[in-house]
Amino acid sequence: MMGQLLAAEFMKIKRKGIWFLTFLGPIGVVAMQMVNYGVRKDYLFGQNEDRWGYYLDNIHSFTPLAIVLGIVILTSFMSSIENETNAWKQLIALPVSKMSVYLSKFTVLLVLLLTSSVLLMLFTLAFGLSLDLGREIPYAGLLRYSFYPFLAALPVLALQLWVATVSVNQGVPITLGILGVILTYAGFTLPDWLIWKWPLLLNEWNEPLINVLLGVGAGLLLYAAGMLDFARRDVK
Amino acid sequence: MLSILKSEWFKLRKSKIFGILLVGPLIGLGAGIGADTAEAAGMINEWYMLLVYMNLPYSVLFLPLVTGVLASLVCRYEHQAGGWKQLLALPVTRGKVFAAKYVLTLLLVLLIQLFYLAAILVAGLYKGVADPFPAAIVWKSILGGWVATFPLVALQLWMSVWFKSFAAPFAVNVVFTLPSILAMNSEKVGPYYPWAQPFAMMYPATDTGDIFFIPWEQLLTVIGGFFILFYLGGYFYFQRKAV
Repeated sequence: MMGQLLAAEFMKIKRKGIWFLTFLGPIGVVAMQMVNYGVRKDYLFGQNEDRWGYYLDNIHSFTPLAIVLGIVILTSFMSSIENETNAWKQLIALPVSKMSVYLSKFTVLLVLLLTSSVLLMLFTLAFGLSLDLGREIPYAGLLRYSFYPFLAALPVLALQLWVATVSVNQGVPITLGILGVILTYAGFTLPDWLIWKWPLLLNEWNEPLINVLLGVGAGLLLYAAGMLDFARRDVK
Repeated sequence: MLSILKSEWFKLRKSKIFGILLVGPLIGLGAGIGADTAEAAGMINEWYMLLVYMNLPYSVLFLPLVTGVLASLVCRYEHQAGGWKQLLALPVTRGKVFAAKYVLTLLLVLLIQLFYLAAILVAGLYKGVADPFPAAIVWKSILGGWVATFPLVALQLWMSVWFKSFAAPFAVNVVFTLPSILAMNSEKVGPYYPWAQPFAMMYPATDTGDIFFIPWEQLLTVIGGFFILFYLGGYFYFQRKAV
C-alpha cells in the first residue's frame, strides 16, 4: 500500500515547480557565496588561514534559512494539492488509512529535502574546488554542513506539515514559517531549546551532533503527534 | 471604489487576519525586550539602539515576507470555487478590483507598522529608557518602511492573482528576499535592490556619513520605479487573465 501511495504522491507533485524549488534551494545557497566570493575574494581569503573551513562557514550562513523556508514552502505545497481542490475526502475515501496518507506525504518531503542536501554537498564541493582554497579538502566538514542542518530541522518539518495539513487557510502555516525563519535568523542570541535554532548547529556544548540527535528525536515525536491529530480529525 | 474596498474588507475580516497582523510587532517586541541597550547609555540616545535591535529581525525578513502572505490572503476567497467569476460578474472593472486589493493590502501593512510603533514604545517603557523619544526619526522609520513595501506588495499581488496556492507566491518572495541579507551590506547593490529597501528606510540614521544612510531621492526613484513596473505588470496580467 505504501509503495502505491508514494507513487501517487510523486505523480501529484509533477509539473508543479516542486522539484524545481528542490534544486533551486541548494543552487541559491551556493550562488550567494559565488556572489560573495566574486565581489571580495581577496578580502575573504584574508579573514582566515583555514580557507576551506571559512568557506564552509560562509555557505552555512545561508543553509539554515534556506532549509527552514524551503520546508515552509514544500509543506504548504504538499497540503495545498488536496486543499485547493477539496480532494481530502476523495483521497481518504480510497482504501488507505489516514496514517499511511500522512506518512506518504512526510516521506515525499524527506526525499525532496534529502535530494536538496545531496545537491548542496555537490555544489558546495564543486564551487569550492574552483576557488583554490587549498589542497586538503575537509570531507568530514563538508558532509556535516550538508546533512546535519537537514536532520536538525526535522522538528520544523514535522511541525509545519502538521499545521499545513490541518489548516484550511494556508496563511496560518506560512505566517508560522516566517516567525520560525526569524527565530533561525536571530538564533545565535536565543536559548537552545527552540527547535528553529537547531539547524544553525549551535549549542552551549559546542557539539553539532547533539542538534542532530535532538532533531531526530523531537522530529519523531512531533511527527507522531501530527499524524495522530490528522487521523482523528474530520475531513472536510 | 469605496464600496469595492469595503466588500474586500468584509471578505477578509474573519480570516484570522488579526493574529497574522500581530506576529511581526510581537517579534519586534521580543527583540526589543531581549536587547542589551545599556552599553549605549550616555553615548547615543538609547531609543536609537532599541530601534536598531528591533529593526534587524523585523525589517530584513519579516516585513518583506509578510507582504506576500497578506497579498495571498486578499485573493484567497476568489481562488476558492470560482470566486473570480462571481466577483467580476458584478458591475466593477478589473482595474478597480486590482486597485482595491492593492490598497487594502497596503492598509494592512500600515496597520502592522503602527502596531510595531506601539511595540517600540512598550519595549522602551519596559526597559525604562530615560532618553527623550526621537519622534521624528521613529516616524520616518515607520512610514519609510511602509513606503518601501509599495513595490513588494505590487509584485506579490501580481503573483497571488496568478497562482492559486499560497506556497508559489511565497516561494517567489523568498527567492528575492533572502539575497537582501547580502545586498544590504553592499554599497553598490543595496540602494537599488527593492527587497533591501524596508531595512534601508527603517534604519534610524541621522548622519549622512553613516554607511546605511541612503539619500531619499535615490530611494524614491528605486521604490517608485519598481512600484510602477510591478503594479503595471500585475494590472495588465489581471486584465487578460482568464477567470
